[in-house]
Amino acid sequence: MELQAIHKEPKSFIWKYVFSIDHKVIAKQFLWTGLLFMLVGGTLAMLIRWQWAYPSQPVPALGPILFKETGGAITPASYTSIFTMHGLIMIFWAITPILIGAFGNLTIPLMIGARDMAFPKLNMYSFWTFLLSAVLVILSFTSQLGAGSAGWTTYPPLSTNVGSPGWGQTFAGLAIFVTGLSSIMGGINYIVTVIRFRAPGMTWFRLPLTIWGLWLTSILNVLFIPVLGSGALLITLDRLAGTHFFIAGGAVGLKGGDPILFQHLFWIFGHPEVYILILPAWGIVGDILSFFARKPAFWYKGSVFAMIGVTVLSAVVYGHHMYQTGMAPMLGLAFEILTLAISVPAVLLFVNWLNTIWRGSIRPTVPMLFAMGMVFVFGGGGLTGLLLGTISTDIYLHDTMYVVGHFHLTMAAASFLASFSALYFWFPKMFGRTTNVTLGKIHFWGSVVFITLTFFGQMAAGYSGQHRRLFDPFQYDYISHLRDINRLTSYSAFILGLFQIPFIINFFYSIFAGKKATQNPWEVTTLEWTHCSSPPVYHNFDVVPTVVRGPHEYANPEVKKALGKDWLGQTEEMPSVDSGAAAVAAEE
Amino acid sequence: MAASVVKLEPRSKEDFTQTLGMVIALGAWAMMFGALFFVYAGIRTGTRVWPPPGLPPIPVALPGVNTLVLAASSVALFLGTRAVARGQRKALAGWVLGAIVLGSAFLGLQIKVWRDLWLAGLLPSSGQFASVFYGLTALHAAHVVAGLVVLGVIFVRALRGVYTEHNVVRVRVAGMFWHFVDVVWVLMFVALYLV
Repeated sequence: MELQAIHKEPKSFIWKYVFSIDHKVIAKQFLWTGLLFMLVGGTLAMLIRWQWAYPSQPVPALGPILFKETGGAITPASYTSIFTMHGLIMIFWAITPILIGAFGNLTIPLMIGARDMAFPKLNMYSFWTFLLSAVLVILSFTSQLGAGSAGWTTYPPLSTNVGSPGWGQTFAGLAIFVTGLSSIMGGINYIVTVIRFRAPGMTWFRLPLTIWGLWLTSILNVLFIPVLGSGALLITLDRLAGTHFFIAGGAVGLKGGDPILFQHLFWIFGHPEVYILILPAWGIVGDILSFFARKPAFWYKGSVFAMIGVTVLSAVVYGHHMYQTGMAPMLGLAFEILTLAISVPAVLLFVNWLNTIWRGSIRPTVPMLFAMGMVFVFGGGGLTGLLLGTISTDIYLHDTMYVVGHFHLTMAAASFLASFSALYFWFPKMFGRTTNVTLGKIHFWGSVVFITLTFFGQMAAGYSGQHRRLFDPFQYDYISHLRDINRLTSYSAFILGLFQIPFIINFFYSIFAGKKATQNPWEVTTLEWTHCSSPPVYHNFDVVPTVVRGPHEYANPEVKKALGKDWLGQTEEMPSVDSGAAAVAAEE
Repeated sequence: MAASVVKLEPRSKEDFTQTLGMVIALGAWAMMFGALFFVYAGIRTGTRVWPPPGLPPIPVALPGVNTLVLAASSVALFLGTRAVARGQRKALAGWVLGAIVLGSAFLGLQIKVWRDLWLAGLLPSSGQFASVFYGLTALHAAHVVAGLVVLGVIFVRALRGVYTEHNVVRVRVAGMFWHFVDVVWVLMFVALYLV
């Protein structure tokens, strides 16, 4: 473990806020960009839901602006672009920057007691590379032939020049490659920082679970995003240089490559990716449940090893996305067993969360509510996944709305609720002000109820046979009776969208006019609250603290007796009961 | 006996942090090239005859020589790094220049190989072999270019006398990348030309 030198604080605006190397500023840059893209991706989701409720009818309000030629109705071509870009934007430009970019940057140095990242300049490059990728993905919308339209998975032949001609898909592919570079740079930084810059006494098993989640995510990022990068580069070569890596069929005769190869590359990355998005959420929720149940996290080490187990297993289960590709039955069976095995550590983690809040003295703060909401939707998403991991049921559910509902519950709903849990929790530390509790609670109840209805609605439709990605599902006889449940799902989605308005008001109002936050408003134990002002000074810690205990020291009766509080910071020595009693006596 | 033992400064903790960062970065790069080889293996096992019939003759001698050129470049950089670590500060710039010249020669010869094959009628759109050949070698060449840029920076800073036996970690880390690019080339040479 190594202590970091203090580097000079920049004075000019441009070095302080634009090309900043300060992890706290970079965290905010990622947060702003991520929230903006979440708004874009969310709007695209609303358009999809409109199409599934009222196919080919003019979209109210947005329609006349976006689809002038058709009088406001969505065309099949725009529709494919919309669902493609919704998926890509939400995954790579909304969840990734918020959960990993913003909260990774914010919490890693603060929670481990470091003054900044190991490579502050690389951190800055990571953000600017990310911004470049954001520009590329926006450029994709400017193509005359429409934005990327091959689905977020960019499978060939959909993503070849034949399936999606024009610059739209090319820009989307390049944007994926560039944002991958940004994630890798961030990942290298996070891994090295946690290994090298932990404060004295901050052993591996005293790290908050948040840091464990982010650290394991970074490992997956560094190992598997390059595989996606290769795939994206080769697809780009196929599109621009005329190679045939993934093109087969009549057009190229016997000289073609193999589209299935891309599916391998994609899912070698793609399955770890779903854990890349959920591991930080698991870590954050694991900590926040303990903080507000005022109890130590149940079996901390078990949770850590469960997360490590998921990380390792996530690398060897990707085949379950490809059961329908003519995979050898023996191989399919192997992937099935490995996939179902991953539910063991996942359930262990889940049981630990339940045991953490079991009989705790729960403080129903806004971050706690969001964390418990995440546990609920993740439970639903996790259980419904078993049917997709099992080959015999997957054959029927493959490519239905059931899949869409399942992965939205785990990847979208769980990550979304965990992001907001984190945002409400660290808001006072980031901005030095507190958020409005009433607006926060309105936001929570609206979000958790309608996000659940939306995605369970999708699963119900899928279980009844509705295929995903259909432009007008109801033109098919066997789906036409599902119009009502689709409408209900759409209404849920619209209401979910409306319930984000209290958040937007709360966010901006609190940044400018919220009540000033104290140093440790939540009365929690980790270093960023016990040793940093709100917001922290440029170097975080004037004196790097020495850690003496783990992050979840709550409800210790001896501490209560000696100090009159139910928590003990990570650097506080355990007071002896006698000295505490003496102090109380002296006061009297 | 004792006099012949070269006593090196212990690496500082800062040095270890930098090295660790590069090790992890190389892990990422290895996965990226690994994926390329995976695609190659996938395409090759899906094709009955390899190389597919109807190709112009594929040279082996020139790429073989080129492999030695890139290996020599790595050796030059290694010798330069060892020299500066032993306190011979002035020797570094010369060795780095040598590594740059050899690296550029590698690129030049690679361009000649591409040009000859292109003129013989092998275009990227000619089929599986052409896709793999041009795709893999081009992506490798892009890394050689990036490595040359880094070595250029090292060269300029070496001329200014920035690097000493106490401050050599950046040369080492750049060297790790350069050697990695070299090793990838050797694997690529064997996979594309020999087997």
